[in-house]
Amino acid sequence: MPELWRYRELIWNLTVVELKNRYQNTGLGFIWSLLSPLLMALVLFFIFRYLFQQEPNFAAYLLVGLMAWRFFAICTTSSVYSIVGKGSLVTKVYIPRRILVLSNTISNLISSLLEFIIIIPILFAVSGSLPVTILLFPLVFLIYFWFVYGASLFLAALYVYFRDLNQIWEVLVTTLFFLSPIFYPMSAIKGAMPVYLLNPLTEFIIIFRDLMIYGKIPTLYSLSIVCVASIASVLIGSLIFNRLQRRFAEEI
Amino acid sequence: MSAIVVKDISKRFKIPHHKKTTLFQNMVGLVKRQMTYEEFWALKDVSFEVQRGETFGIIGRNGSGKSTLLKLLAMVLYPDSGTIAINGKVASFLELGAGFQPELTAKENVYIYSSILGMNRKETAKIYDGIFEFAELKRFEDMKLKNYSSGMYLRLAFATAIQTDPDIMLVDEVLAVGDEAFQKKCILKMNEFRERGKTIIFVSHALESVRSICTSAILLHNGSVVARGAAEPVIRNYLELLK
Repeated sequence: MPELWRYRELIWNLTVVELKNRYQNTGLGFIWSLLSPLLMALVLFFIFRYLFQQEPNFAAYLLVGLMAWRFFAICTTSSVYSIVGKGSLVTKVYIPRRILVLSNTISNLISSLLEFIIIIPILFAVSGSLPVTILLFPLVFLIYFWFVYGASLFLAALYVYFRDLNQIWEVLVTTLFFLSPIFYPMSAIKGAMPVYLLNPLTEFIIIFRDLMIYGKIPTLYSLSIVCVASIASVLIGSLIFNRLQRRFAEEI
Repeated sequence: MSAIVVKDISKRFKIPHHKKTTLFQNMVGLVKRQMTYEEFWALKDVSFEVQRGETFGIIGRNGSGKSTLLKLLAMVLYPDSGTIAINGKVASFLELGAGFQPELTAKENVYIYSSILGMNRKETAKIYDGIFEFAELKRFEDMKLKNYSSGMYLRLAFATAIQTDPDIMLVDEVLAVGDEAFQKKCILKMNEFRERGKTIIFVSHALESVRSICTSAILLHNGSVVARGAAEPVIRNYLELLK
């Protein structure tokens, strides 16, 4: 950790470079990146609106789920390349290599926060009010950040050795999309509930909805689940990353 | 006080008979039992010490392990056994300008490059003018790096690295930077660097430059140290080896 602090400048610089590259054509770049999830939400809304009529505020339900999902999906699929794609910073110079993954995760965090900020007025418009619990959102999102970071470490390190991981992961991410309650209500999968909750993303998405739509404070139980999931993710991710990084320069 | 202590390091490379880079190939290989590879020891039980203020040469033929050793010192590679202790801030010149972003301006790149070398923004701001003055690129500080010529690019990188004031410099024949005048400036700068008690590790097979700047050296042959000591006798050893 002290080492990461010493390199804080680099972490920030790489994050900015990442963001600049993503939104290269400034204003329009960001609008495009927002258009795609909103269009996706719109399509899902019109398809499933009648199917899931029991969900009272389906539009808000869908938006929060989709945005929370996007952070995980986009960040992990881009993190796969964060070591291999930065070859010269790995093979030619010493830096703590987890910085490359960390800065990618931070840049995605910033994009995701912007997306959430944009949907807040929409949430207000479709629900008529915003719950106070929304103030707790940053806290849980921070826990979520570490969960995503751990997964990213794991993927970035493994991809150095297994170059088909990007394709495998894309399939897995798509599978996870359908296994998480993004576009269907929780009541639709009542029977399979216990197995279903093994997916930590489900727990995160439920909490985000409670905070942003229903005004419910998460229970201690569900909070501890997401905390444990995040800690486990960072620990396992770091352990594997540290082991594998020793031969990064030879494998790239 | 030693700047660098290297003790019994060995480095092994695995060269697989069938290169497997995907999970699928690895699984197939497991079933077919083709996990064979050849071992290649790039370095074997190498030990040496570098005192603070020394200019230390590493010489040897192609494939003798010089670059591997330098990469180990730069902490880009990890040894399979043995230890390396380094006292002080290291700047490695394995490749100048690693991490430069062609889409950004020279100014932005200087900040990024110096943060790679472990500097923060304030520290960089202090040396900023010195960098552009040394590189003679003041006029071009707001130009995007993709429009730089390769000479300008290297000058900027060298100037940034040298101005961050490292304690130990690892140099891998990058002195062929820029034109004659700039090279002279680099040599002068390195001499000044040495006089201030800083350490330079210099890898080369250009014997003339080793002779002119190194105080001591080691000679590597097939991954082992075959001679060490003052630069001149080690160079003579090397010349005999070539015969």
